[in-house]
Amino acid sequence: MLVIPIAKATKKLRERFGASLEPRDDRGSLLLEGTVPSWDAKIEAGWAAARFGYHGVVNDLMVPGVCDEALEQPPLRDGALEGAYFDVAIVGGGVIGAALARELARWELSVLVLEKEYDLAVHTSGRNDGMIHDGFAASPGTKKAAYNVRGNRLWEPLCRELGIEFKRPGSLVIFRGRTSAIAYPLMVARAKENAVDGWEYWSRARLRAEEPNVHPDQHGAFFLPSAGVLSPYKATIALAENAAANGVRFSFDTCLLSMGVEGGRVASLRTNRGEFRAGVVVNAAGNWADVVAGMAGDRFFSLHQRCGTELILDINTGATQRHIMSMPSLLQVRSKTKGGGLVLTPEGNVLAGPTARERPGREDYSTSAAELRELERHLKINTKLSLSQVISYFAGVRPCSYEEDFIIEKSRRVANLVHAAGIQSPGLASAPAIAADLAAMVVDIAAGFKAVRLRARWMPHRGTKPELRRLPLEERAQAIARDGSYGRIVCRCEEVSEGEVRDSLRTLLPVYSLDAVKRRTRAGMGRCHGAFCTPRVMEIIASETGMEPCAVSKKGPGSYLCAGKTKEHKAQAAEARS
Amino acid sequence: MTADLTMDVVVLGGGPAGLAAASGARAAGASTLVVEREERLGGILKQCVHDGFGLLRFKERLSGPEYALREAARAMAAGAQMLLEAFVTRAERGADGRFSLDCVSREGVRRVKAKALVLATGCRERTDRQAFIHGDRPAGIFTAGLAQYLVNVQGLLPGKRAVILGSGDIGLIMARRLVLEGVEVEGVYEIKGEPSGLTRNVHQCLENYGIALSLCSTVSEVRGRRRVEGVTIARTDARQRMVAGSEQAIACDTLILSVGLIPENELALSLGVPLDSATKGPRLDQNMHTLVDGVFACGNAVQVSDLADYVSESGEIAGRAAAAFALGPLRERVLVPLKAGPGLLYAVPQFVDAASPTPVVTYFRSNSSLLEGARVTIRGSACGAILSRAYLALRPPEMERLVVPERDYTGESSIFVELEREEREAIHG
Ligand SMILES: Cc1cc2nc3c(=O)[nH]c(=O)nc-3n(C[C@H](O)[C@H](O)[C@H](O)COP(=O)(O)OP(=O)(O)OC[C@H]3O[C@@H](n4cnc5c(N)ncnc54)[C@H](O)[C@@H]3O)c2cc1C
Ligand SMILES: Cc1cc2nc3c(=O)[nH]c(=O)nc-3n(C[C@H](O)[C@H](O)[C@H](O)COP(=O)(O)OP(=O)(O)OC[C@H]3O[C@@H](n4cnc5c(N)ncnc54)[C@H](O)[C@@H]3O)c2cc1C
Repeated sequence: MLVIPIAKATKKLRERFGASLEPRDDRGSLLLEGTVPSWDAKIEAGWAAARFGYHGVVNDLMVPGVCDEALEQPPLRDGALEGAYFDVAIVGGGVIGAALARELARWELSVLVLEKEYDLAVHTSGRNDGMIHDGFAASPGTKKAAYNVRGNRLWEPLCRELGIEFKRPGSLVIFRGRTSAIAYPLMVARAKENAVDGWEYWSRARLRAEEPNVHPDQHGAFFLPSAGVLSPYKATIALAENAAANGVRFSFDTCLLSMGVEGGRVASLRTNRGEFRAGVVVNAAGNWADVVAGMAGDRFFSLHQRCGTELILDINTGATQRHIMSMPSLLQVRSKTKGGGLVLTPEGNVLAGPTARERPGREDYSTSAAELRELERHLKINTKLSLSQVISYFAGVRPCSYEEDFIIEKSRRVANLVHAAGIQSPGLASAPAIAADLAAMVVDIAAGFKAVRLRARWMPHRGTKPELRRLPLEERAQAIARDGSYGRIVCRCEEVSEGEVRDSLRTLLPVYSLDAVKRRTRAGMGRCHGAFCTPRVMEIIASETGMEPCAVSKKGPGSYLCAGKTKEHKAQAAEARS
Repeated sequence: MTADLTMDVVVLGGGPAGLAAASGARAAGASTLVVEREERLGGILKQCVHDGFGLLRFKERLSGPEYALREAARAMAAGAQMLLEAFVTRAERGADGRFSLDCVSREGVRRVKAKALVLATGCRERTDRQAFIHGDRPAGIFTAGLAQYLVNVQGLLPGKRAVILGSGDIGLIMARRLVLEGVEVEGVYEIKGEPSGLTRNVHQCLENYGIALSLCSTVSEVRGRRRVEGVTIARTDARQRMVAGSEQAIACDTLILSVGLIPENELALSLGVPLDSATKGPRLDQNMHTLVDGVFACGNAVQVSDLADYVSESGEIAGRAAAAFALGPLRERVLVPLKAGPGLLYAVPQFVDAASPTPVVTYFRSNSSLLEGARVTIRGSACGAILSRAYLALRPPEMERLVVPERDYTGESSIFVELEREEREAIHG
């Protein structure tokens, strides 16, 4: 892309965003300084700057009343990593970090994954639709388009190796109103350009026959059969567990705080659990990737946060539709989002969403009534859905570069640093392909300091424990005969047994928190939302670990479920009064 | 797999409704099995350690666990079998007309066959998500029933400073319980203009303990990333919408929700039993017989009840009728709809079986508070007024019961439960 000279870029930006703007060419990337009146203006300015052809936009514009966010350190302090050395350190235990860890496990390399949270997939990778997009929606020519189509082909065999569910229901983009079907030839042209695996035109009658509950005002659909779904947190955990089985180390509650750079290389990594060294560092830090890049003096991009909210409907809604469905004109068309729709999860819930809203807050997952109203419109696509079937809702934050594309490259300034940043949607769909390319970059750098060989005993298959509710009755009976705890149901909505909860705590990467058990077993994900299983799971965690039930947390340090035992508190309260 | 088991009547759920059903079915001579998914019998009453149960049924003031023990002892003495910690994963009707249930327990998987089923599965609580609470999602948000279980069964304290949202009975009872455990209760907030719980609970649980009840107010937002740090309370207007600018922040570490109960009817749905959109329970006749032959229902699975005694009564009726169905010849039902008139939330049963000579125990609730008095009349489309009673007041939280003695319904196309407002003088005079 042609680079617009800084003087011209400055003029254009000042015309739109005010004279206080101070754009600078910072070693090839465009740095924005100054003040703008609103968050929206800041984002708009970043988008405008991204068109000038620089290698990244660093947006330091200030907005009155909005402060910079600081990375919150986990409370844990020990020297577990002090003085250690790894060939590769991966920062971030989301789907990108986990997928890369598994790829690198094929090689004779020592690999450490640092994750500041108590578990994997706590942030964006656990807060999305779980859709393995077909690749149609991404703009042609972007990294998003290319990685998505490649990733889509890789996920299905990968899920077989990992022992997790993958379904390919296909996606219907439904035409609303007679005129919208005119878009069909354009859609075909884009699908071809993106090399999407297959598409079809469905007539009104065909759509009605295949989806009897569809919105009556439909005029056929564009069908993309390659669209798939999986459970994003289960996938991330499975990738990590398989990586761990092949020798990768994971360190939770471990936050990268700073990096020492010497002679153009990262020489040391400082964490709350000690300072260590690594041959190669990979930045897969999700919504903090720009901050992590800055720790190595390589801040050539900024991320902005696009929050999305999703509704989860009762599991019995899954039977009312067979495909992923969207009806773009039901929502006002927005530029930066695919508009959302109804996704079918592998378990059979319908998800409605996501919304797309620019707001500051890298980890702000609060939801609002206004967003729910926006999502309610999606429910109209399927006439059998209503708000009363909603069992929950959640938000996630997409880490976005101002180019609105992935940043997957070796650092230009630091020799042993690789970035996987700006991994917005379709980052999950793309993850296996991104991981393959990242691994090649890492191996290339590592070859500069050691002979990198393929691991002789690489095990691609993850050993999995059975999900009892899916077993044929006879096999279920046999499992219970071996271990009676498989017969004690502790989550009544999702039919999860005590044995399965125990299994989830006896893996290579056990995490002793309620939400961690929930992500692994689905206990607490049903319509009663934990009202029944919470005390039971707390007791199982306590008995597995020897901790007191009241010490069990919901989601890691600080998120305690109980304030203690009743008797003790009463005594203390009485003492305090006297 | 453990060998098949064949019973006349299988009762699903071992709370007061299911236990009374089992006693009723045994008394009528049917072999009876109760399947309960928890480790102990008694249902929700196990955790209701306060007293006030059984005044009607046992003519005594009992605690919940005591009441449950009595019911369990009666059912067992009557010879009902119990399958505990057993979970029904599938219920189906076979070609032979028998029901077939897959029961999973520590002992294995057992296929149970039954001629009649009684659904006594109780209800579950609406959650924070179903009440559309917004803001952060930290630890420290509990349904009142879960909080009650933690405190009363596990001896664990949910927090030290609590806000209670919703004035349902469990919330009121928990407000008192928490104060007794030394927790600071910041108040009970109710979105409506009147409490959802019983008046006696408002007196006994809040007023007697100095706990403030704020009507027309709700939690607009929860704050705290890891653990609840506070909530924002907003006032609401007559249409339950938040009033802008009325927000007020309250510091607390716990939010307890008592925002309604939903009958558990997943098994009923899987058996094709039609539900009533007002009660969220099966539609049924005076014998608690649902619209699917051989499937009976009782207790909170049918309608959310405020009194265990009524729950047991419905169980007893369902159990006897299920036994009669299982043991007797197949009999045609003649179902006459029983309709709730304007001003009523609902009436149960939804049908009267004119071919069955049994009294009709009718329950209903008004949809708003009628403090000036009211009259309720049960009327046949052909015969006119059957029964009429004047009430000093009617309030939605209070379930009312009227018994229509055995009578002949031939010729009736519908039966109506009608509500009229009455002047206070008329009652006194
Ligand atoms: C609402 C929504 C819906 C979406 N739907 C889809 C979809 O259907 N399909 C799809 O393909 N994509 C979807 N996406 C996008 C997809 O979820 C993301 O692209 C993907 O999860 C990004 O993964 P990640 O590993 O880069 O980031 P993350 O999952 O955020 O992982 C980064 C991790 O790094 C850790 N970290 C950060 N800083 C540090 C540090 N200093 N030290 C240690 N650890 C650190 C964080 O704690 C975090 O766990 C959606 C996104 C949203 C928000
Ligand atoms: C907190 C609280 C306080 C109350 N206070 C009073 C009071 O003071 N006085 C009063 O008279 N009444 C009171 N009540 C009302 C009344 O006692 C209850 O409504 C009554 O216990 C309901 O009985 P039930 O048998 O229908 O349901 P439950 O007691 O809920 O029993 C249902 C049983 O079915 C089991 N079950 C459900 N599904 C399945 C399945 N699929 N397979 C196997 N088993 C299953 C459950 O585990 C449970 O044990 C109170 C209720 C509550 C919740």
